[in-house]
Amino acid sequence: MNLPGVLDDLRKIVGRDAVLDRPEDLMLYEYDAGIRKSTPGAVVFPTNTQQVSDIMRLASANHIPVVGRGAGTGLSGGSISQAGGLVIAFSRMNRILEVDVENARAVVQPGVVNLQLSEHVSHLGLYFAPDPSSQKACTIGGNVAENSGGPHTLLHGVTVNHVTGVEVVLPSGEIVQFGGKAAESYGYDLTGFFVGSEGTVGITTAITVKLLPKAEQVATLLGVFESVDDAARTVSAITAVGITPAALEMLDGWTLRTIEAFCHAGFPLDAGAVLLIELEGLREAVEEQAVAVNEVCMRQKAREVRRAKTEDERALLWKGRKMAFAALGRVSPSYYTQDGVVPRSQIPGVLQHIGDVGKKYDLIIGNVFHAGDGNLHPLILFDMRNAEQYERVLAASRDILQYCIDVGGSITGEHGVGMEKRDMMRQLFTDEELGVMISLRNAFNGDEVLNPEKMLPMPRMCREIMGASQNAVLAREGM
Amino acid sequence: MSTAATPVRFARELREICGVGHVIEDPATLEQARILGVTPAIAVEPASVEEVAAVLLFANENGLSVVPAGGFTQQQTGNTPNTIDVLLYTKRLTDVEHYDPGDLTIGIGAGCTVAQLLSKVAADGLLFAGDAPIPERATVGGLLATGMTGPLRHGYGGLRDYCIGIKFVTGDGRKGKGGGRVVKNVAGFDLMKLLIGSQGTLAIITGASFKLFPAPRQTRTFVAGFATAAEAIQYRDAVLRSPLSPMCLELVSPQAGALLPGGGRSGKVWSLYLRAAGSDAVLARYRSELGTAIALEIDGHNEYGVWRAIEDFSNILPERYPSSVLISLSLPLANVLPVPNELESVAVSNQLAYAAIGTVGVGRLLAGLWPAGEQANLGAAVSAFCKQLPRDASASILHCPEEMRRQSSAWAKTPTHSDSMKAVKHALDAKDILNRGRFLF
Repeated sequence: MNLPGVLDDLRKIVGRDAVLDRPEDLMLYEYDAGIRKSTPGAVVFPTNTQQVSDIMRLASANHIPVVGRGAGTGLSGGSISQAGGLVIAFSRMNRILEVDVENARAVVQPGVVNLQLSEHVSHLGLYFAPDPSSQKACTIGGNVAENSGGPHTLLHGVTVNHVTGVEVVLPSGEIVQFGGKAAESYGYDLTGFFVGSEGTVGITTAITVKLLPKAEQVATLLGVFESVDDAARTVSAITAVGITPAALEMLDGWTLRTIEAFCHAGFPLDAGAVLLIELEGLREAVEEQAVAVNEVCMRQKAREVRRAKTEDERALLWKGRKMAFAALGRVSPSYYTQDGVVPRSQIPGVLQHIGDVGKKYDLIIGNVFHAGDGNLHPLILFDMRNAEQYERVLAASRDILQYCIDVGGSITGEHGVGMEKRDMMRQLFTDEELGVMISLRNAFNGDEVLNPEKMLPMPRMCREIMGASQNAVLAREGM
Repeated sequence: MSTAATPVRFARELREICGVGHVIEDPATLEQARILGVTPAIAVEPASVEEVAAVLLFANENGLSVVPAGGFTQQQTGNTPNTIDVLLYTKRLTDVEHYDPGDLTIGIGAGCTVAQLLSKVAADGLLFAGDAPIPERATVGGLLATGMTGPLRHGYGGLRDYCIGIKFVTGDGRKGKGGGRVVKNVAGFDLMKLLIGSQGTLAIITGASFKLFPAPRQTRTFVAGFATAAEAIQYRDAVLRSPLSPMCLELVSPQAGALLPGGGRSGKVWSLYLRAAGSDAVLARYRSELGTAIALEIDGHNEYGVWRAIEDFSNILPERYPSSVLISLSLPLANVLPVPNELESVAVSNQLAYAAIGTVGVGRLLAGLWPAGEQANLGAAVSAFCKQLPRDASASILHCPEEMRRQSSAWAKTPTHSDSMKAVKHALDAKDILNRGRFLF
């Protein structure tokens, strides 16, 4: 790798004001919203697809690792450059290229902020459904890389369900198209494969997304429970009566009190847990569902069920949910967020386990999560300056994720594997299964120029664990 | 064409893998399993993922071509196979890996039929949304490999939207996995997406997990009639803009309507069949929103029959008109509008009759053409029709006369970069063992 040697060439591609290499500038790009850090060698700001292609061609020829970066709001280190490589920041590729109302599609550059797209098409009665909690800042390019979710993915699905086409720059610099404006295309679904590939297959420079019509009616209910256990049991009781809410979020008592002190969302301070339940659709259907959900909650020992009476009340409840992470910043110098998933029916058990883990490792752990689809976000509070405590946090985190795996779940529901959970992929997949994924990555990114040392465990590590492989194909993949 | 007139030299090894009773060498039985005129040299029925992997590793070592087979409902799709050295049935892979109705998920073997899956979850008031043609024979693996779902795609999405995990053996004999059994999961590549619709050319799917849905307690179908296709499609646009969220929304041409139960009823009109679910109040709202365009309401047994026929249309049309061509289209929504006119135009110019049916709310359309005169020219019509398709469209020929199949590709068009698809094929099946010659390249 010879990054300093190509800085002049990079400046020729993007202009002198679009390359950063001074240490004080690079510090801003050494982290994301997680806890890992690594300083890149340079940051470059292209403004168009051709520039991205030229950058990739240059980087590949010089074996310089490249990482795409949107807003740096990720939680798994996906946009952090390891080993002093090159960061391609997309803040100058932030245009909405096309709004195609007839086809219910928009074509956007990767640096478009998630919420801005919905705001841009709001006057047409349309919106972009994936709504990560960071949607005011995170970019659609980042959403595509990580296959991001959000509270409303319970009904509408995650990012991949809303992307029908991508323009991609391959490591060779070639610009290619996967899919388009049609919902599906014959041939391999490389669009679906690309979304969530965590920047290890190519870099997207234009994304075709679905725009959905806004619902006629939205009902936002707050179920107040005396205990976490009662709230947890209510989650599968709601789906058991045939209702799929648009969102079904849970906050435990400690977390809601912390949020309430921060932004006065209206959560009851003495509750054991609350469920934030949103129903949307046809007016008649939503009203019937609201009655049914109320009955289910009361049957499951809810103290009360409140319904937001105005749009302002609804917005306030959601503000409380989406500001949860920010609220924790007031009470702890650092926090570590996990993203495990369990089958819905396992929620009571996993919450009990998280409570036990907190006691075992002497840590405060809050819970605010997407209960409807079993996607947990335990928030472990700690002080980064306390090395011993930091080790306990990592051990507690592994303990929780191992429980998720043991009950049939996953280590990540929407934040991606990235750097931090890469080693735990071995708990989910066999070496042979990982080898299949590695060969697919290598089909596009064989030299690992793109986002090296992310998502999939390194072949060398595999070899150490496995010894010499008996399988010719595994051996070919370095496994 | 391959035949199995003499004992196959590798039969003994395959018997060691699958067991004596699960290797088929009888020529008459193999003849029954011919695909587009090509007879398999031998057939195997592995009972486990390990046996599938062993067969594929053996095929790799010996350069044998392998064609996976489920219920033989879609084997007429794709190009004619070069050879079929080994036909691999998935029928013994039927284990239920996980099922908890409270989780609304199920994991099941690829050889399970769609009807068995539907019946199993229906007992718990749940719905599997993969409404395959001929569900009694279609298997879960075949459904995934071909991506052939029906009208429920409008309300529940395609398989890519509710398949949450997949297990498979790659063409080069490796056991692979994507996703898992939870409804939200981004650990590793999304291999469900890659394998759905891959036509058995990358891997043999051995099992999959799915998100299930609460089954609707009451449904009703509203049929609206229009003098022209354009009016019907404009009405589709009005439905899509409305607050309504139907389960199904199907465009039916006059000729297609004639093949549905009670076909004479729709006369010479283009129809939109809209299926709604909900309480009496919800259905009343549909009635009020849909207005005077509604010519007919169907429920109960009749409704079931109509939707089964729509699901099976890709089978019904070729049975009625064996020399027909059936083209499956996936289009951006706005590009559906000109298709009926283009279809009529190529039909008239080439002495053909035509029918169209499709889930037009998501841009899916089946277009059928068949001879209606002595100078009928199906090849010219298909070629002219496909040339007019817009940039983002994709098309495949589901059915056509065997002679035409040998002369032209079944894959008319796709917007996705061809070399990238080839790179994926090479990564999982470098020796081109699986479904050799049947796909895009």
